[in-house]
Amino acid sequence: MSNADRRYRIRHRTVYEYSGRIDLCHSYAHLAARQDENQKTESHSLTVLPEPDFRSERKDYFGNKVHYFSIESSHESLDVISDMVVRKEEASPALPSGEIGWEDLKEFHRATDQTGILLGNYILPTRACPFLGSVREFMEPSLSPGKDVMEVVHDLMSRVYREFDYTPGATGTSTALSEVMEKRKGVCQDFSHVMLAALRGVGIPSRYVSGYLETLPPPGKEKLQGADASHAWIEAWAPACGWVGFDPTNDTIPGDQHIKICHGRDYFDVQPIRGIFLGSGKQALFVEVDVERVEALEKE
Amino acid sequence: MDTALVEPAPASSGGNPAVTYQPFATRRDEAIGDDGLLRPGWSDLFDSIQRHGPDGLTTWQSEIHRLSRERGLAYRPDRIEAGETSGNWSLGPVPWVFAKEDWKAIERGVSQRLRLFDAILGDLYGGQQRLFKEKLIPPQIILSHPGFLRALHDIPPRESCVGLGMAATDLGRDHSGRVFALNDRFDQPFGPGLALENRTIVNTVLPNLFRRNKVRRIGHFFVEWFDHLAECAPKHSSSARVAILDATQEDTDSEISFLANYCGILRVIPSDLTVRNGQVWLKTIGGLEKIDVLWKYTAGRELDPLETSRGFGRGIPGMFEALRRGNVAIASHPGCEVLQSPGLFPYLSKICQFLLGEPLLIPSVATWWCGDAAPRQHVLANLSSMVVKGVGPHGDFTTLYGSRLAEAELAEIRSRIEAQPERFVAQEELALSTVPVSTSSGLVPRGAVLRAFSFRGREGVPNVMPGGLARVTTEDGIVVSTREAGESKDVWVLDENYDAKVRISKQVRRSRLTSPETVTSHAAENLYWVGRNAERIDFISRFMTRILQGRTLGFAHATPDEIEHESILLEALFSLHECTGLLDAGNQADEKLLMVLRESDCPAGIGYHLRNFRRNTNLTREQWSTASILAIESICKGWSDNTENARSVFGYASPLESLQLNLAAFLGMNLDSMTRDHGWIMLDAGRRIERAVNTVKLLSFHVSNASPESIESLLNESILFISDSLGTYQSSYRKEPRTGPMARLLLGESDYPRSLLFLLERLQLVFAKLPEPVGFTHPGELIEPAREHLLSFCERLERDGDDTGAIRTYAEEDLETLGAQLNALSDHLTKSYFSHANRTIL
Repeated sequence: MSNADRRYRIRHRTVYEYSGRIDLCHSYAHLAARQDENQKTESHSLTVLPEPDFRSERKDYFGNKVHYFSIESSHESLDVISDMVVRKEEASPALPSGEIGWEDLKEFHRATDQTGILLGNYILPTRACPFLGSVREFMEPSLSPGKDVMEVVHDLMSRVYREFDYTPGATGTSTALSEVMEKRKGVCQDFSHVMLAALRGVGIPSRYVSGYLETLPPPGKEKLQGADASHAWIEAWAPACGWVGFDPTNDTIPGDQHIKICHGRDYFDVQPIRGIFLGSGKQALFVEVDVERVEALEKE
Repeated sequence: MDTALVEPAPASSGGNPAVTYQPFATRRDEAIGDDGLLRPGWSDLFDSIQRHGPDGLTTWQSEIHRLSRERGLAYRPDRIEAGETSGNWSLGPVPWVFAKEDWKAIERGVSQRLRLFDAILGDLYGGQQRLFKEKLIPPQIILSHPGFLRALHDIPPRESCVGLGMAATDLGRDHSGRVFALNDRFDQPFGPGLALENRTIVNTVLPNLFRRNKVRRIGHFFVEWFDHLAECAPKHSSSARVAILDATQEDTDSEISFLANYCGILRVIPSDLTVRNGQVWLKTIGGLEKIDVLWKYTAGRELDPLETSRGFGRGIPGMFEALRRGNVAIASHPGCEVLQSPGLFPYLSKICQFLLGEPLLIPSVATWWCGDAAPRQHVLANLSSMVVKGVGPHGDFTTLYGSRLAEAELAEIRSRIEAQPERFVAQEELALSTVPVSTSSGLVPRGAVLRAFSFRGREGVPNVMPGGLARVTTEDGIVVSTREAGESKDVWVLDENYDAKVRISKQVRRSRLTSPETVTSHAAENLYWVGRNAERIDFISRFMTRILQGRTLGFAHATPDEIEHESILLEALFSLHECTGLLDAGNQADEKLLMVLRESDCPAGIGYHLRNFRRNTNLTREQWSTASILAIESICKGWSDNTENARSVFGYASPLESLQLNLAAFLGMNLDSMTRDHGWIMLDAGRRIERAVNTVKLLSFHVSNASPESIESLLNESILFISDSLGTYQSSYRKEPRTGPMARLLLGESDYPRSLLFLLERLQLVFAKLPEPVGFTHPGELIEPAREHLLSFCERLERDGDDTGAIRTYAEEDLETLGAQLNALSDHLTKSYFSHANRTIL
């Protein structure tokens, strides 16, 4: 790591308040940053209130860290606070060449998936990324014979950025892709799903990435959208360059302002918190995310 | 089951069935060889058929029908109600016989297939995924299957789970006698309990034949299975509490109940279980009890809604975490459904060689995956002779037989395959070997499939059930599917050296298994409603008997008073069941009566409550002795049989009496034979609360509806009759019934078992044996206020003696208070012992 590395402190707090009593809660969180990317977690803590009766940690199928916990006595609220410091390598992202035409990639990985990462996981439709006629149609203008895979993905990203409106509140976590396609509106999660469905539909391996984006706008530049919340983007794969990130919400290739948490096939593989509560009543949810750049602590 | 044959059966010439049995010329027959002689093992069976002649087979068949019906075999309420006769499992009298040597080969092949799939499972979950790395199978076939549970990637099957658990393999034989596998089922293999049930019935009908032929017994297979499950309990656990996890409303319901009964294992449903502190617990009336091993008979995909399904309806949140922590063992690995995909078939031979280093003994039917170009071309070129299946979960795509499709249909499936080739496989259509099947026109050959069952026991040694479940094709030659197939057969494996001494189930270390005496909350609730519904049916039927008596006995002259009396009784009945609106529907008095007697959707009707009673008893099958099951059958089936030909309301008089008698027999039997555990308390409480509620409601109706004075005593007499207290009243008072004394008898007589006071005191006594519910007051505490109110009410009744006018001024309010107190008591039981909290997902 060099002096130009950036260090971020990220606090992500999720609060559930219930109108009634909850007697039992089983939950798990995808809130710890991956270690295998160009970033290093210096510290991470996950605080749960009330104190869980049972906690454990593991790696999921995609290599993400998962915290599981259960609260087995009556409670009226649940507070989950993730606090971490991540060091991010300096990066000046540029679009690499995939060195393969998009049509050839399809046969390439079907015949020989010798990458050991089971690309098959990332070319199949999922619940959030079904193969739809409307998506295939949307993909069409980005395809021309023999075009480099990475060019195709980049072009698609820019078109999603231009042709979809960033409208918080227009969609929810369970909004179907077909509705997003129809409304041409959504948030980072929807735009990522649109890209994934479009790319996988033509055989380009791609995966969903959850993470955060630095809050402060660099001087002279427009403020990036997605700040003060969890963010999402995608990564696409080609044999020559491996996985490369694309952020359709900001029409940019993620660099050192994007802090990656987890990746999977879609949002539901990496949902920040998922839980099942036994009890009655309604719930209210509050999320607060703070991403701040911090100086390195001098070692004494 | 998807293999089919289309040849018509040859016409039978009548006469002796064993002599006239004629196999097809082009197909292999299991009983008769190409030389026209009986194959080894069949001669004694054919001799016996010959000796008994055509009537013999008919007698056997009808005996089997009777036994299956009595045992409630594969009872499907949903289907029977829909008027489908296929609700009953059908079993033919002629078994499928295997000679010792023939069976040995099958046993070897099935054992190997089991080891093979176990190895594949271990490679996919917690293993090295060598199948992918060595390109032995296209990853897509596995990765696209919803039964491949990524959440379990770190749970090695043989460490935390019981490996594959019990496997079912469907086998068929072609004309050359070669055995092929048609399907493999692991996730919730249908049929092991039915195989045992079939055996029990056939053994009862043909005991001598069975013994003479040294048929190997299958009961021991289950003993070893449960023994093995107990051994799989987590190491650190001092006990080994085993339970069968069922899904309740599935059609395997009675099969699993039967197995649970046979083996003395507790059957639970998902809502009975909860995960706390990373452990699995059973909710019982007495509190939480730890469970160490589960034989799951639910879909693996639905086991833990937190980590898998999106349907959230069923399952036990936290279950996978308990599994990961090694705190529970589950048979089978919940991710085994992916192995059922026919997409594996084309690759099994090579995989077997690679993983086991052995050639595959029983190959799958020749299968091609359309995801690869060369096999796809082969399939499309030969589509009209292929069987097309989906690679996804069983049931996602209805199997298509190319040979039976019209040109347009073939074109359609062709374009579907071309659009999404990776979703399809196609197979050769196998001409199944035939077995003799008894029909109304004698013995005829029908294609047959054998479902073999196996599991790997201690140190991985395969254990194959010496027998199985055979299914035969329907008359038109099509085996529709496993669960709808025409007829089943017992499977006899002969072995003259086989030790006929039964190794009785003492080998099941019963002390280590969950005792069936444990009463789960859900069983308790159903038992409570068995009690309530039984009393309710009795109550309604006494109403009807009284009305019919009114028309036929001495006081019946159709005077205005009598007509008024009948209509008041009817109104009372409908008002008690909160459906007086229905009374406006029928104009004729008879139409109204028939609503109660005949219709199944009238809340005041017998059929309505019989259906609920049947459902409650069905969900608690393991609580009932064989005698009780017969009694339940007499109540339900008896009523529908007896009333089938009733032309008018009078035709119901005698069925009503039988119904009351059958109910009394059922309830009396339980009084005598059930252990006085928490379940019995709930059954008893249900009966008493229902009776109390009925008495209070009936009296309340009576005092709040001013009836003509001229019929008051007739009405009182009817109320006493309906409450089964007429005789008692008459012997105590020796005069015509008056409202005051009647109310005192029905409410406050301290030593009279039908009085409300007695019922309340009795409830107080049995409730004392129930544990304190968590978070609620003890139900006994709700009885005291009701009892005090009753006593003060009775004092006033005593004071006013025969003065009906005076009594009417306050009785209605008192009875309403009592009614509300009883309802509160019932609600309290539901909340504190039965109900499960609502579930919310974020």
